[in-house]
Amino acid sequence: MSENVEKYIKRKVYKSTSSGIAQKFVDAGLEKLRACINCGTCTGSCPSGRRTAYRTRSVLRRALTGDESVLEDIDIWLCSTCYTCYERCPRDIPVTDMIIKLRNIAVEEGHILDAHFDLANKIFYETGHGVPANGEANKKWQDLRESYGLPPLPPTVHMHPEAVKECQELMKSVGFRDLLDKIENIKEKEKEEAEKSKEENK
Amino acid sequence: MSEKNKWKYGFFLGCVAPNRYPMIESSIRAVFDHLGAEILELEGASCCPAPGVFRAFHIPTWLVIAARNITIAEELGVDIITGCNGCYGTLRDAWVELEHDHELKKMVNGHLAKVGREFKGSIEPKHIVQVLYQDMGLDYLRGFVKHKFKDLKVAVHYGCHIIKPSDKRPWDGECEDPTFLDEIVEITGAKSINYKDKLQCCGAGGAVRTAVKEISADFSREKLENMRDAGADIIIDCCPFCHLQLDLGQVEANNLYKDMIGEPYKIPVIYITQLLGLSFGIDPNLLGLVKNHDLKGVSPFIPIESFLEKVKTQLT
Amino acid sequence: MTEVDKKLNITGNEKPKIGVYVCHCGVNIGGVVSVPDLVEYAKTLPNVSVGREYKFFCSDVGQKMIKEDIEAGLINRVVVAACSPRMHEPTFRIACKEAGLNQFLFEMANIREHSTWVHMKEPEGAYEVAKDHIRLAIAKARGLAPLAVQKVSVEPACLIIGAGITGMNSAIDLTAAGYKVYLVDRSATIGGHMAQLDKTFPTMDCSSCILTPKMSEISRNKDIELLTYSEVTEVTGYVGNFEVTIKKKPHYVDQVKCTGCGACIDPCPITVGNEFDLGLSTRKAIYVPFPQAIPSQYTIDMDSCVKCGICAREDVCEPGAINYDDEPEYIHVKVGTIIVATGYDEYDPSELKQYGYGKYPNVITGLQMERLLSSFGPVVGKPVKPSDLKDPHSIAFLQCVGSRNFREGGNKYCSRVCCMYATKQARQYKEKHPEADIYIFYMDIRAFGKGYEEFYESAARDYGINYVRGRIAEVRENPLNHNIIIRSEDTLLQQPIEVEVELFILSTGIEPRADSDSVTSLLRIQKSADGFFLEAHPKLRPVDTLTEGIFIAGVSQGPKDIPDSVAQAKGAAASAIGLMAKGEVEIEPFFAVVHSDRCSGCGMCIQNCAYGAIEFVDDRYYGSVASINKALCKGCGACSGNCRSSAIDIIGFSSEQLHSMITKRE
Repeated sequence: MSENVEKYIKRKVYKSTSSGIAQKFVDAGLEKLRACINCGTCTGSCPSGRRTAYRTRSVLRRALTGDESVLEDIDIWLCSTCYTCYERCPRDIPVTDMIIKLRNIAVEEGHILDAHFDLANKIFYETGHGVPANGEANKKWQDLRESYGLPPLPPTVHMHPEAVKECQELMKSVGFRDLLDKIENIKEKEKEEAEKSKEENK
Repeated sequence: MSEKNKWKYGFFLGCVAPNRYPMIESSIRAVFDHLGAEILELEGASCCPAPGVFRAFHIPTWLVIAARNITIAEELGVDIITGCNGCYGTLRDAWVELEHDHELKKMVNGHLAKVGREFKGSIEPKHIVQVLYQDMGLDYLRGFVKHKFKDLKVAVHYGCHIIKPSDKRPWDGECEDPTFLDEIVEITGAKSINYKDKLQCCGAGGAVRTAVKEISADFSREKLENMRDAGADIIIDCCPFCHLQLDLGQVEANNLYKDMIGEPYKIPVIYITQLLGLSFGIDPNLLGLVKNHDLKGVSPFIPIESFLEKVKTQLT
Repeated sequence: MTEVDKKLNITGNEKPKIGVYVCHCGVNIGGVVSVPDLVEYAKTLPNVSVGREYKFFCSDVGQKMIKEDIEAGLINRVVVAACSPRMHEPTFRIACKEAGLNQFLFEMANIREHSTWVHMKEPEGAYEVAKDHIRLAIAKARGLAPLAVQKVSVEPACLIIGAGITGMNSAIDLTAAGYKVYLVDRSATIGGHMAQLDKTFPTMDCSSCILTPKMSEISRNKDIELLTYSEVTEVTGYVGNFEVTIKKKPHYVDQVKCTGCGACIDPCPITVGNEFDLGLSTRKAIYVPFPQAIPSQYTIDMDSCVKCGICAREDVCEPGAINYDDEPEYIHVKVGTIIVATGYDEYDPSELKQYGYGKYPNVITGLQMERLLSSFGPVVGKPVKPSDLKDPHSIAFLQCVGSRNFREGGNKYCSRVCCMYATKQARQYKEKHPEADIYIFYMDIRAFGKGYEEFYESAARDYGINYVRGRIAEVRENPLNHNIIIRSEDTLLQQPIEVEVELFILSTGIEPRADSDSVTSLLRIQKSADGFFLEAHPKLRPVDTLTEGIFIAGVSQGPKDIPDSVAQAKGAAASAIGLMAKGEVEIEPFFAVVHSDRCSGCGMCIQNCAYGAIEFVDDRYYGSVASINKALCKGCGACSGNCRSSAIDIIGFSSEQLHSMITKRE
């Protein structure tokens, strides 16, 4: 294939403004997405956008117009949920909540960073904490607690294994476990595909 | 009326404070005890869950686990206090949402029933700063001030989730120009200085730190640069995650952006109750300010000696 | 009694012979239900003599069918089952009248808006609903009695509240038609906000040049009683006969003796902020609002005055016009019509803390910029930065400040004039400073009027004004020089940008007057959801209110520019003239009447009446009972519905008539 064809020819055509993603927002009670007039207040307020390629407004515009690539874009994970955009939107759109919903939709389709997935699957599900202090690996943190006169583990799930089980049961009930399993499968498949194409290209 | 009965709270610890910055936990316990409040443990509490990551992955899970945490306090019949903006954000947002949306509340209680719990909405999740400023009030706090700083310039960092979303916070909608944390700092005699982009996010939250650490480190770099420019002696914050981002993150910024910043940053990062506790005359050991160990690779990552010097020389 | 009346023997007590006319309304009705079947159904009901169908009964052919039946003596009541009475009730009433039948012996059944239009997808259900409506209308028709329209005389005078460009134009047109005008304004001058403007878009006419001749015309006009520094305190009465009380506020300066020489200004020791210049300059406690004010007599602002006595000295005020003991004067006038032209307030952007208004000196509002540009403003037309009084070399405007805001407590509407005034101010400044960088940050540019798009195009092409599509997120101040640093997104480039300018202008929007509630309660007119006065119909009656005889015009009805304000001024004047021209007005006879024998004098109806139409009177037999003023009564039924003694009926909608509609099922 000619290098210039790859470099210059772009065949992406703009679709319509009614999209599956937009419908998910409407179904979740977030129909305000459609009221966006693209004024740019959100992007202008965004501390992340000032230093990254994340554009709050564009990401939501892509969601509204059905550009599915937004779900795979890392940009949607560069919002620090500071809520400044949410406070200033003249159309009273809960912008930050929109980004969070968009992330939910992306995760549902398996688009989640490995680091985030491991955090959810290995750490949160297993221990009940997002930043755990139990186990040998975390001994120094337990020692640190003791040096300040605190018990080595806090009276949280760390001292109550039955509470961990309770959380896990709730996570199963609400569908989180299934979601994590589904993502695990998707990631397995992706790895296999990546391995296969590496072999083919050799 | 005994003060001890008036203020009884369930202490929600979260993750970062107890497991990485336990001095923050100590200082909160010490200060609240000193002020006559009674702290109850919320046994079996889990991660709040962290709003930036877990809410972003699956909102219903976030809501159900948050509701579970709230029910632990409901069973004790006490309001929740937390010293973390992230936990405050989660517990408070979940509480407001469940109060207003009956369908949602039904859904959540449907799951909670399976573990014998029920969310009633009978207690209020509060931030310790909210309790200090509103429940107790500045006049009450001033009564405990024994020592005042003579010349301490403080860069106050509010963080984000303590003030936003403003419609779910107790500050009357104020989020562009809050003053409550500055006011608390200033009863200790310290001066809260103005610096560029004071209300900018620290960059830890929203899954950014766990996604691409370099980006969150640039947020901190910018904040630290502005604080240094304004002549800050120390940073005061009210959130363990911001605290981590400005402390450990200061080391990261120094490394990742060493070409940009010139002289590495070395501004001590202090939690609000640590400062208050010193002013109240509480033993610095109880405030987590004194190092009693030889552990490597633990907090605080930026040495606080320069601050402790000031404490020795300045406090009257 | 007409020939037809004699033929039909209309007394109100005769046996009803009802003609039922079911309209197809094209396919609106006929396409959903079977009109022939409805006609057959109607004919089965008692007292129905004639039943007909037609495609469009409102047409001449259709009306003729009805008229012929009346003239032939076949019917003495008419029921038309068709569209909404709001569409064609007047049409059919006139048809009845022309055929000699009393127009109130007509009843309309709405089987379009209330049946086939709302149940388009359920024709069987629509049919049943249509049958119900027809049966109800027939039941009502049986109980109808002939009624006469009421006529009241009209006073040939008009009260105009507000003497800005709108009020003044109405006044001129009314006096040209020969009517007396009372022109009231609470400020010490006429001219309104337009007097604060420098140039007007798109022609760049100097505002004063087109305004002051009108102001002079007003002051010279003998048929206009000019009441400045006055407020309307009470309005009673009804259309054609309003009794108005006006309070003339004390000037503390004799308006006849004062020559406007201005000798009192220098010696006055009290200096306060000048409201006309929006705080950018000062005035003394004794003042005229601006040099070209009309009337040109002076006023003392007694809130600031300390009564030092200096201005009252003989060597200061030669004519001896100062009078610290001045009192308000109340006058009573009678007018036939009222026009409300009270104008607007400018939005105060202090609450938008991210824009720094009130915090940073170099952030000002659009109207403040207007005063800076004005040739008789604080800097005589050479705008400077408030921080150091130097000319700015870079300016930015932000559009939609206080408008198009859907957040809680925000004004959702577009203020309509800001895109144009910002472009105008930008062009004016660029003319004075061709080297200056000027930015206009916008969400949309609304350049809808005559010559407006051309004006905007030229601003970008000829003048090089930078239009940036992005709503500014926040600003901060450069502490060294008080410059304003703007953060925004250039949405068309999808790029966050940071721009430093020396002067930042918030193109603030228009708000209803803060005290507009005092006008609505005074006149019993309504406000729409956006807070401006409510027109009777948004499309077809923009200057009428729902209260007959009271009109609204100008920005008090909604944001608009000067051409549209003047158009409404003329429209309101024409409507007032139309009402007063015949010397009398007709009123529909559907008012409430009190059956004194049943009235218990509890006063509930008086409390419930939104039009102030009820009062207690002493009845010879029944003591203190309620009595209803027919001209004020709108027949809304609030009194009747709430009367615990069932003592009130609405003529034409009596309890008996309504009861007959819902109880008889045939």
